[in-house]
Amino acid sequence: MSGSPTNGWVLKQGEAGYPSVLEDLPDPPPALYGFGDHALLGDGLAVIGARQATPYGLSCARRFARWTANRGIPVVSGAAIGCDLEAHRGALDADGPTVAVLGCGADVDYPLRAATVLASIRRCGVVVSEAPWGGPPTRWTFPRRNRLIAALSRAVLVVEASLPSGTFSTADHALDLGREVLAVPGSIFSPESRGPNRLIRQGATPITDVSDLAHELGEAWSAGPRTLPGTEDRLLACLTADPLRPDDAARVLGTDIVSLIRAIAALEARGWVTRYPDGRYGISVAYARLQSQHLDAEHT
Amino acid sequence: MTSDRGQATVATATLHGTEAVGVEVQVDVTNGLPLFAIVGLADAAVMEARERVRAAIRSTGYRFPNARIVVNLAPGPLRKHGTGFDLPIAIGILRATGQLDGVPEPRARAVGELALDGTVRSVPGILAHALAARTNAVPLLGPADSLDAASALPGLAYLPVRSLTDLPRARASSPVQRERLVSAGTGSPDLADIRGLGLARRALEIAAAGSHNLLLIGPPGAGKTMLARRLGSIMPPLDDEERLNAAVIHSVAGLDERHVLAGVRPFRAPHHSATIAGLVGGGVPLRPGEISLAHAGVLFLDELPEFGPACLQALRQPLEDGRVVLVRAEGRVRFPARFTLIAAANPCPCGYRGDPDRGCRCGESTVARYHARVGGPLMDRFDLVVHVDRMDPGHLLHYEAGESSATVRGRVCAARERAARAGLATPAVLTGQALLDACRLNSGALEAITFLGRAHHLSARGVTRLLKVARTVAHLAGEDRVTENHLHEAAMYRGEGFR
Repeated sequence: MSGSPTNGWVLKQGEAGYPSVLEDLPDPPPALYGFGDHALLGDGLAVIGARQATPYGLSCARRFARWTANRGIPVVSGAAIGCDLEAHRGALDADGPTVAVLGCGADVDYPLRAATVLASIRRCGVVVSEAPWGGPPTRWTFPRRNRLIAALSRAVLVVEASLPSGTFSTADHALDLGREVLAVPGSIFSPESRGPNRLIRQGATPITDVSDLAHELGEAWSAGPRTLPGTEDRLLACLTADPLRPDDAARVLGTDIVSLIRAIAALEARGWVTRYPDGRYGISVAYARLQSQHLDAEHT
Repeated sequence: MTSDRGQATVATATLHGTEAVGVEVQVDVTNGLPLFAIVGLADAAVMEARERVRAAIRSTGYRFPNARIVVNLAPGPLRKHGTGFDLPIAIGILRATGQLDGVPEPRARAVGELALDGTVRSVPGILAHALAARTNAVPLLGPADSLDAASALPGLAYLPVRSLTDLPRARASSPVQRERLVSAGTGSPDLADIRGLGLARRALEIAAAGSHNLLLIGPPGAGKTMLARRLGSIMPPLDDEERLNAAVIHSVAGLDERHVLAGVRPFRAPHHSATIAGLVGGGVPLRPGEISLAHAGVLFLDELPEFGPACLQALRQPLEDGRVVLVRAEGRVRFPARFTLIAAANPCPCGYRGDPDRGCRCGESTVARYHARVGGPLMDRFDLVVHVDRMDPGHLLHYEAGESSATVRGRVCAARERAARAGLATPAVLTGQALLDACRLNSGALEAITFLGRAHHLSARGVTRLLKVARTVAHLAGEDRVTENHLHEAAMYRGEGFR
């Protein structure tokens, strides 16, 4: 074991800052080693996929990760070659938060090809591991790492995975821990899509578009992502109560018309708000349905 | 009486579109049966010059020769129009009979209509004549009334004459004598009069900043016309080139060009009974239509679907090219027509579709036919489509008076300057790669385009429009990059037909 690197931190189980979500695990790690803002732990979307990914898997990973990170939601992945690295790159593209969970020491650049990405993440994201500083990558540390990815996320998005695979095991862990499992469907002839297709058959939510993801994230992150500033939240609440014209809404909320127009437009693009024939804006059918699902969930 | 025989030539010009084409008036006075003939493809107005010239010469104390007078207008094949030939013909006769000796300046072009008492009256297109005279570096002899207009052209020697009796004394007016035109203000009502209607006001501001065409849809009395009439008041004043071009068109059409020369943007609001010739130009001689009179300014088409379908479709090419080319047997004439189009329409024939308080009794097929009158290709030319809804009278009074035109114009000018500093053309005319380069999108904005395109089912052209409007929105916000926020706002003004 080497000495502790500068900027690195160690969180012991029971200490302040130790992510409480890890207590969901039957065997929580006694200590976490890492770099970056550990407040981001436990609040992300895991975007994971096969090492031997197809261009389809790579572009899905990058696209969904970038979109998620752009909304301020941390993208969690394992920094492995293939989909994982693409997911981190996507998040970095968007200047958004990302969390890399390693199977070796958090200060070790493994795989070597991930060195530059890992360096960026240590600088502006979080790199974390249960292995002590300088811990070497071994065959058995990676499956254990997968359960950490599942535990440290609110939902897991499987982009591509063959059967059986480490990625698929992460999804299994997520199900065990009661995390939402999302999967990107693929061709039935593609071995790399067999994992997500199987997950969908078993009840995972298929993600076919960013709007699907928006919908799912909207449910899992009801607190609201980064691009939903106060105006949009308050506007949505306002419009749920009573459809309003833009001018009336601006007056009620006390904002200027330009910010209000932008807020309405953002909500409209998301499909939550729609224009009524008389020029008022109100919540859409889709949003009303979403709300009623929330209410149902609270009642049961 | 031998002195009453002779020949003389006088330079003048006739209008061909907005151009004054040089014409030579040749006068021959000879012995023979008394006759006064004009040859050289002259139209009826020119033929009538004979009576005016005869009376004017006599009533100002000159002699009208009792001889055979033939006036030839060269070049022969060119059609000559208008009453501006009166003055040169009169000068020609006076010179041929030795009554004007070397005065006025022999090289000068002469243009003007004569009254029977010899007064020189102004004619349409004096600015076009003035431009041509300046280009050819010759002085222009013309009506004193037109001195104001001619003063707009520095470097032109203008010899104003009030009457035929002034001819021996005509000399270039010195700049000191020229009256300075008082700036007439913007001449259009102020935006501060409008309460509420924030979305539409904002769209108006964007239209002014980026020269985007704007369609306002709403029930009668919602304020569409009020808004449209105030577009000119938030646009920057005309620059020198625009001012001259627009003034020449006004001058050629025989309209008062002084407001335009003072920098006021033209605002044209033709009634929906307008004909194609009235709208895009036509007639004999060819006159500029409303779209050319609106050059550098605003063309407002109220009740858009009520215009003749052929008229509306005739707008498409000028909207694209910024000019209109009229092809007639006598040749091609090009009129500039780069205007900002603002149109207003009711949502349905009765006007109350979607109004919660008044029922609309229009059937679906009636409404569809009404919308089809405008047609997809023309709808595509509207970068901004905004619904102007009837305000709740109870709410109306809650709103404070809106921002004044001067405040909004300040922002519009700043946005235009920012675009100009970045070396960009007006966003409204950008396309393809140039538009993409101008937007300088980052990855977030690219995602937003994909997202918005899917969410709103935008066509390729729809995306282009989105980008153009977002480009202007960003300039208004003082930013060089188009971001997600700007794109979202732009999506609010997308046209999905009348919806």
